[in-house]
Amino acid sequence: MKAAEAATGAALAELTLQISETLSRLRAAREVSVGCSPKERIWSCAKTTLYRYVPLTARRHRRPLLICFALVNRPYVLDLQPERSLVRRLLEAGLDVYLIDWGDPEDADRHTDLEDYIEQHLGGCVRMVRARSGGEPLNLLGVCQGGVLSLCYTALHADAVANLVTLTTPVDFHTPDNLLSKWVRAIDTDLIERCGNVPGEWLNGLFLSLMPLRLAQQKYVRLLTSRPDQRTVEDFVRMEKWIFDSPPQNAAALAQFVRWFYQENRLVHDNLSIGGRRVSLRAIRQPLLNLYALEDHIVPASASKALGEYIGSRDYSGCAVATGHIGMYVSRAAGAEVPGRIVSWLGERG
Amino acid sequence: MQTPGTGTSFKPEEAYAAAAERFFELMKTFGMTGGVTTDWKALAAPLATQFERWLQMSQSAAPWFGAAGAGAPAGFGLGAPAAGAFGPVPIGPAAVQGVEVPRTFELLGRLGQLQGELAKHWSEIAASAAQRFIGRLGASPTALATPQQALKLYELWVHCAEEAYAEAVHRPDFARLQAELANTSAALLAEQRQQAEALVRSFGLPTRSEVDALHSQLKELRRRLAEPGPAPHASEADETPGASRREARQGAQRAAGKRSASAQRPAPPRKRPASRQTRARRPRR
Repeated sequence: MKAAEAATGAALAELTLQISETLSRLRAAREVSVGCSPKERIWSCAKTTLYRYVPLTARRHRRPLLICFALVNRPYVLDLQPERSLVRRLLEAGLDVYLIDWGDPEDADRHTDLEDYIEQHLGGCVRMVRARSGGEPLNLLGVCQGGVLSLCYTALHADAVANLVTLTTPVDFHTPDNLLSKWVRAIDTDLIERCGNVPGEWLNGLFLSLMPLRLAQQKYVRLLTSRPDQRTVEDFVRMEKWIFDSPPQNAAALAQFVRWFYQENRLVHDNLSIGGRRVSLRAIRQPLLNLYALEDHIVPASASKALGEYIGSRDYSGCAVATGHIGMYVSRAAGAEVPGRIVSWLGERG
Repeated sequence: MQTPGTGTSFKPEEAYAAAAERFFELMKTFGMTGGVTTDWKALAAPLATQFERWLQMSQSAAPWFGAAGAGAPAGFGLGAPAAGAFGPVPIGPAAVQGVEVPRTFELLGRLGQLQGELAKHWSEIAASAAQRFIGRLGASPTALATPQQALKLYELWVHCAEEAYAEAVHRPDFARLQAELANTSAALLAEQRQQAEALVRSFGLPTRSEVDALHSQLKELRRRLAEPGPAPHASEADETPGASRREARQGAQRAAGKRSASAQRPAPPRKRPASRQTRARRPRR
């Protein structure tokens, strides 16, 4: 009995020491930087800014690539650090990369709605990029919610987009495994509008609540007890910084997104209108590459791969990647596969 | 529980220290700190209690609806803020004339009821998680002698807890409850704002509704300036000072769909009149 107690006591002391060391490293990593590739500001509209990344190599693709990220998170996750950067891999492949940053909406922006975002902000970015590249249609990469905006824009402006890539983009919001959709199905969207902009913290809380113990406890315990070196801790903190750095959401746009997509599933039911113009996935004839994550707890794979059933394009490629939602942007496994597929697919289509 | 990174400054080590604390608490429950062989079946109750407490703590932090909760750490749930966060603004009887104070108390009561229902779900989830965990342990293992053994047990616990949680929160009754909590909290915030507007109006200060109406008019003016054709007369847009507040509010709703334009923006496609149809509000539920 005494030997067992001694062994347990020693194990506990070892565990305490591990945790103590990791906590010291975490303290040192607090000010870690995020976003690594140099970029220049090209244009802005209200809080939205269009950036162009400084090329890293000679251009090998004719058309520029415009990245349209989600409204609910910051786009720097695509360029977190040199070895975990989708943007950097695309630049290294000779693509001319532009990025839309939606910025920080203020209370005065509470009436900015999806039509504003799609026609004025995204549309303005598209027009600006095209103007800088001889007026040719561009390639568009929509990420998560930004993929939904990109689908809408492409359906409305067939002449502006040559090829469309969607990444972890929900299309069918009513698949059985979509927990987020189940929870917001009965939310009163009129009340959302009346209450004003929604703080990013609230959305963070919502996303964490999908798997609370895993996302708010287990990952920290794993880090604390794994004897991570300083670099591993910094990588972890970088990711955490992004996860909890969500911008507020404009009341009008969020209410419309919840109502039209999560509640009424309009993309699938083919009854969506933006600015009085019908938005139909059948109208999208452009080549389309749809990348989705098999272990995605925010946008289930079933919600993304449904796109293949509704798209009008005859050149559709669906591609499943064995990772989670955020893993699609930052995991080492997806780090090679995702940009590799995008580059080769675009390369084949010009 | 404090969700990491949601405070005013990002201090990861504090959140991780809290996670570590909880981990040690769990290890203590597993008998690690006692150094004796654990009666695993007897663990179900304390495990369930701990998990339930954590769920309750996490959901009690204020979401965006909680006007009084600004800057407070966010929890992970769609749950409502503590009922005490709401209530009529203490501004005296004159300032709340015309405001339905009973409605506020009615909503507060409803919120309390809903939180009670949510607590039942947490209790059920916690009990189910503990039962699953004990069931999966099988034959009683010996005392935890290494950190690896402890972590393995912890992983099993998380797996069982998430499984129990997922099973419950996917159910329609849970989804309905979450939505109703959010709707009731939002309705309370709307009531609070209405009371605050009454106070503001009594001092002759501009209200949210009036600011919204002006903002909408500005958007409409910008939109019209961006369109080809003659510029609008100033008098067409400058109606607010003479208009009643009700008209201003209606104006805000009417104009909520008007587009903004930026001087440096590339020419946008012209707005089509049919766009108004998409802005028609749905009837209130």
